[in-house]
Amino acid sequence: MSELPAVSEEEFRKVCDFLYRRTGMLFTEVKRYYVQRRIAERMASLGISVFATYFAYLRGDADGEIEKFVNAFTVNETYFYREEHQLRCLSSDLLNERVRAKRPGEALRIWSVPCSTGEEPYSIALWLLENWPAVDVQDIEIVGSDIDTECLAAARDGEFGQRALMRLTPELIAKYFVESAHERWRIVEDLRQSVQFTTANLMDPAETRRHGIFDVIFCRNVLIYFDDASRRLAAENLFECLAPGGFICLGHTESMSRISPLFEVRRFADAIVYQRPKGGVRG
Amino acid sequence: MPLVRRPSPPFEPSAAAPVSLTEGTSDQRWAAVRAAATRPDGVALLAAALPQERDPRVLEAIFTALARVATAESAAAVAPFIRSDDASLRAAALDALRAMPEASRPHVSRLLADPDPDVRLLSCELARGLPEGEANRLLSALIDGEAEKNVVAAAVEVLAEVGRPEVLAALARCAERFAGDPFLAFSIKVATDRIGEP
Amino acid sequence: MVEPAGKRILVVDDASLVRRFYREALERAGFEVDEALNGVEAVEKVLGGIYDLVVVDVNMPQMDGLTFLKVLRRQATAVSSLPALVISTEAAAQDAAAARAAGANFYLVKPVSQEWLVEHVSIMCGRPA
Repeated sequence: MSELPAVSEEEFRKVCDFLYRRTGMLFTEVKRYYVQRRIAERMASLGISVFATYFAYLRGDADGEIEKFVNAFTVNETYFYREEHQLRCLSSDLLNERVRAKRPGEALRIWSVPCSTGEEPYSIALWLLENWPAVDVQDIEIVGSDIDTECLAAARDGEFGQRALMRLTPELIAKYFVESAHERWRIVEDLRQSVQFTTANLMDPAETRRHGIFDVIFCRNVLIYFDDASRRLAAENLFECLAPGGFICLGHTESMSRISPLFEVRRFADAIVYQRPKGGVRG
Repeated sequence: MPLVRRPSPPFEPSAAAPVSLTEGTSDQRWAAVRAAATRPDGVALLAAALPQERDPRVLEAIFTALARVATAESAAAVAPFIRSDDASLRAAALDALRAMPEASRPHVSRLLADPDPDVRLLSCELARGLPEGEANRLLSALIDGEAEKNVVAAAVEVLAEVGRPEVLAALARCAERFAGDPFLAFSIKVATDRIGEP
Repeated sequence: MVEPAGKRILVVDDASLVRRFYREALERAGFEVDEALNGVEAVEKVLGGIYDLVVVDVNMPQMDGLTFLKVLRRQATAVSSLPALVISTEAAAQDAAAARAAGANFYLVKPVSQEWLVEHVSIMCGRPA
């Protein structure tokens, strides 16, 4: 299309206010062109010609329209060392706090859910081996869970393409991966065996509960797209799986402010994370 | 040894769920409340536990459980807490009603007509989750008869998002009635601009 | 009159039009403004930024304004003494008392005019209005 159909000032603000309220993502004047373009793209894709009709459709979130709209503004692919600042926070702050709560010999447990094709849990393992001094003396258990069994099969396989490894240095790749096919690398056997992959539906308390209690949970870029009721329930299920004093990390455009008041906000140098309070409620 | 290779066996929680929602530690009450959501007598138990519970997280779990049930009965158990003197209970009640829009639907028109302006004000938010035609009809009727500025403001806030051309006349009448109030003049203008041409 | 240099105000209200009304008035008066729409987001913002004042509503989803104030006042850092102006629809004396008990420095009842808002914010920030 040669020209964007005009979206008035108030129509633009209406979309921005709505998305901010629902997702916490803030679109401002600087993003106007991109927001207008996205509206035009979505309207064209859906065969809608009137803005008011599209806005009603967006509001109703039919067919996951909010996520589809916002997808153009977020990085969706998964790769190793995505959101490195959270990994830094993990090794600099979170684990050190959690270690103080452990009995001798008790493992630190970390959960990546959803884990998709495994980049996130393997990244955690890699990062800790490379960056956490206590990794030699502290047992760590890493679990990756997803609702998609095909993703889990790929994760267990541990083979990745170039794009997934784009943030890793050649040294890291040489150290932890073996070239298994043309431009495919498989993570070394030791690491592959270190992560346990399971199915889990965040909405089902029985499924989440059977995974036990964790010190740190990574639950990124999924909760914010659930409806109100589902978000609350998922948050509660995750709360139940966190040790008192345990931490949960969301995607960097997400906030518990749109999900649940159960957790306390903790700000560290590298990230804002959420903590289950140390006293009180245990599931 | 780092990065444990042999994972823990699946955690098997004790089969017997705690029974009482009102006794025991907050941990125990939390677990009992969560389990109540799937029990046939759940709503009655949850409703009975609500007035006595003081722990914010157990309260949150009660409201979430009632929202999970999502029936007329569970919505009826939640709705009275909109009147609470406690702001956190009001917020929790509204959040729970918002999370069960179908079950709350029959309550909205009654709440919007409540004699207490604070109840009418808070209930405007619930209209946001109604089908658009119904939301427009109810809020339009509300603002036509409403004397309280803050209630009108709450309705206009929702209409700025859900409003359709059929409410423009009611908004115009409101603008005239409250011409002296700068905030209402401002909000009605924004809502009118957003609704656009009939 | 001296222009306010860089006083930052956090406006917390779940109503987008209220936030906009306050923002426009405060920006015209030379303040910098950030927003949050509930108590949880407000906690995130105050922990992550530097503000001279927070203007906060009471009735908000997820976490109401009074609970936010209690969380704020419990913080271990300097942020715990952030001045707070509560602007609420609750008109009863007990509501003002509850706000003060939660840690509010000032309590106003809605609707609040832009002039009244700017005057109060200016005074609380230690500036002539």
